[in-house]
Amino acid sequence: MTITRRGLIATGAALPFAGAAMAQETHPARAALNAIKPAGYPREPIEMVVVYPAGGGMDITGRVVQRFFERVTGERSFVNNRTGGAGLVGHTWLATQAPSDGHAVGIIANLVISDAARSQGRWQVSDLDHIAHLNAEPLNLMVNADGPFKTGGLRGLLEAARARPGTIRVANVVGGYYEYLIEQLEQASGSRFLKVPFQGGGPGITALLGNNVDLAFGFFAEVRGHMQGNRLLPIAVTGRQPTAFLPETPTVNSVIGRDDVNWGVSRWIAVPKAVPADRKAWLAAAFRAAVADPALVEEFRNLGALPDPALNSPAALNAAVAQMAEAERAYLVASGRVPR
Amino acid sequence: MDPISGLLAGFEVILTWQNIQFIFIGSVIGTLIGVLPGIGPLAALSLLLPATVALPPVGAVAMLCAIFYGSMYGGSITSILVNIPGEAASVVTCLDGYAMAKQGRAGAALGMAALGSFIAGTVGIVVLCLAAPMLGAFAIRMGPPEYAALMLLGLACTILMIQGSALKGAIMIGLGAWLAAIGMDIVTGEFRFTAGSVDLSAGIELLAVVIGLFGVSEILLNVEQSARGMAVKAKLSNLWPTRADWKASWAPILRGTGLGFAIGLLPGGGPVTASFLSYAVERRVGKNPETFGKGRIEGVAGPEAANNAAVSSGMIPLLSLGIPGNAVTALLMGALIINGVQPGPTMMIDRADVFWGVIASLYIGNVFLLVLNLPLVGLWVQLLRVPYAVLFPAILLLALVGTYSANRNLFDLWVMLGFGVVGWALRKFGYELAPLVLAFVLAPLLEQSLRQSMVMSPDGAMIFLQRPLAAVMIAAAVGVLLLVVFKRKTTTLVGGTA
Repeated sequence: MTITRRGLIATGAALPFAGAAMAQETHPARAALNAIKPAGYPREPIEMVVVYPAGGGMDITGRVVQRFFERVTGERSFVNNRTGGAGLVGHTWLATQAPSDGHAVGIIANLVISDAARSQGRWQVSDLDHIAHLNAEPLNLMVNADGPFKTGGLRGLLEAARARPGTIRVANVVGGYYEYLIEQLEQASGSRFLKVPFQGGGPGITALLGNNVDLAFGFFAEVRGHMQGNRLLPIAVTGRQPTAFLPETPTVNSVIGRDDVNWGVSRWIAVPKAVPADRKAWLAAAFRAAVADPALVEEFRNLGALPDPALNSPAALNAAVAQMAEAERAYLVASGRVPR
Repeated sequence: MDPISGLLAGFEVILTWQNIQFIFIGSVIGTLIGVLPGIGPLAALSLLLPATVALPPVGAVAMLCAIFYGSMYGGSITSILVNIPGEAASVVTCLDGYAMAKQGRAGAALGMAALGSFIAGTVGIVVLCLAAPMLGAFAIRMGPPEYAALMLLGLACTILMIQGSALKGAIMIGLGAWLAAIGMDIVTGEFRFTAGSVDLSAGIELLAVVIGLFGVSEILLNVEQSARGMAVKAKLSNLWPTRADWKASWAPILRGTGLGFAIGLLPGGGPVTASFLSYAVERRVGKNPETFGKGRIEGVAGPEAANNAAVSSGMIPLLSLGIPGNAVTALLMGALIINGVQPGPTMMIDRADVFWGVIASLYIGNVFLLVLNLPLVGLWVQLLRVPYAVLFPAILLLALVGTYSANRNLFDLWVMLGFGVVGWALRKFGYELAPLVLAFVLAPLLEQSLRQSMVMSPDGAMIFLQRPLAAVMIAAAVGVLLLVVFKRKTTTLVGGTA
């Protein structure tokens, strides 16, 4: 039943690519990959699960990666959006129901960590094996180019908050990095913001464009067009160093003197823990080869994110995921959300 | 570039043999998915998105757009013929469209739906290319307080829409609002009414609710009636709208176009909301409101025009600002980005070919759809000759496949079947289903914008009076509610019909 159903979807979704994949010349990494390819695998197209809707940032990344995976391996695959519950439905499926024969992989992001916490103990991030890192990007703090905070930067905005507590409107998405970041800014200003809730980063950016909020956070792809149109200005970015896309914009850390304002998105490939080791190794190598392709790096760059060479092995990635989960937990403990 | 030369340049881009083929394919697929219950434009577009990577950007987006507005044309067909909405924006078309079909006027309803869609689509595109940048800039000024006021006005109109017993109508609105509350609370992040279920944490899928309530329940009713040997078979007579139909319909079409255009422009608005509100307005302004639901052509013409106008105007925030107003335009935005085009204020200059090419494609697509749909009216009507014993299992199967394809989630199928039984029972007891669905659509938007307004306002509820547009709409909502109270007092208080 499972095989037939997945096969059916695959035929529909993968057909348009069949021609494109075949037309490509053999990828240089193919020979090395074939040498470690397990016998009799894959025997059907590989399902690449994206837990967010088609057309969004995560989906676009997923589809680019899927295309390069086919180019590198010559195997067929398809992106399947298993959406719902802001990612919870898809993540839960990956961790608890996905076939463990290597025919389903997740194209996921660090948001899986908070979803694991929301799953009420049904599954944990460690139920997945994190096998290949894709890319990462920080959050950009934006203000309206015609608004009251167009000059003065983040420092000016924080001073205004201090002078007039409870008047500055910030677009918030509850239960995640947006909220943590706002809290850190509140601590830095010793003041309170008006946290206007939205169902995602995009609607918050729209509200900023209409001057219905004063500050909003967005990923580069969400704000680039508005920056080019001179409607929005970046005032700071999260992370330890400035981003390559906005080298002039300071980090929040450097403005408010902290070192833990590093919320952003990191995307990678994960499979159920029970997938056989040889299959995992082949998948990991295939995605690594895809991410090493300069053409893919260029596509990532267009989307506003870059690969992280330091996370180039499953061991390094698994350690980094554990570290991210720990950093988030530490923040939740420090902010009193989770008992010590 | 001024609109006229821009549009001419757009036609130059779009009028290649290849692009015309894409638009034609899109129109056909759109009509088909509109006809098929369950599978709506969102599911179809997400299935086809990968296929567009290999296409040139203008052709790809033109095709996807054609699917979107093509589904608005197609959606009315099953609504009218068998009382099963092809997609969510055609729900209200069932009310009068099916009643017309039972009177043998299916052809008139189908023809008017196609013509209304065409007029609205075309007028929408003209306004779109003349005023896109200006209207876009206006639409983003609409903040949470204006939305809250607009949704309040919408809900007030829903109450006006209730035909029979006020109590039953209120129960349906309450039920719709409660069902919509299931899932994650956007202010606190808490789960509401999910009983610890992961499936419910996502909330209940609109598509599954609509197809269940209207489609599955209709099938159940028919099965029941034919088991007792009393199924009503629609008669077939005059295939085309008459002069009287035209006379009755031109004003609703224009009103539907204006209303649909305005609703589609707003982030969060879309064809579904537009069609419901148009129906409520037609019932309000039409003579003899009590005959609505019994085969009034205005009840088909207005909403069908509104949903198409909303599709056209929904392109404005997307193309001129890079802001997708609803899930389908978000998908179109994804398609542009995948094809290397960044939608936004600079797109009109950087990628004028794509901007004007897509707009020009809308003209062509609407002509295709009219040409495609009018001659087919005769063919669609023949569907009624298919025995129900064949037709209904086929529709049920398509509804199952379509609903599953939206999220690939089996749970949605249980929701659909469950709501089929619920809808059957509610109809047996004389409850109207439309207020339930409208509350299901509007209540979350109202809740969200109301709570956003309260958070962003330092002066509490005063924010609704400080913003002129919001204040005007709230005043209108209060006016409508007073009207309801007044009307209910002067006419009979309780009716029992469905």
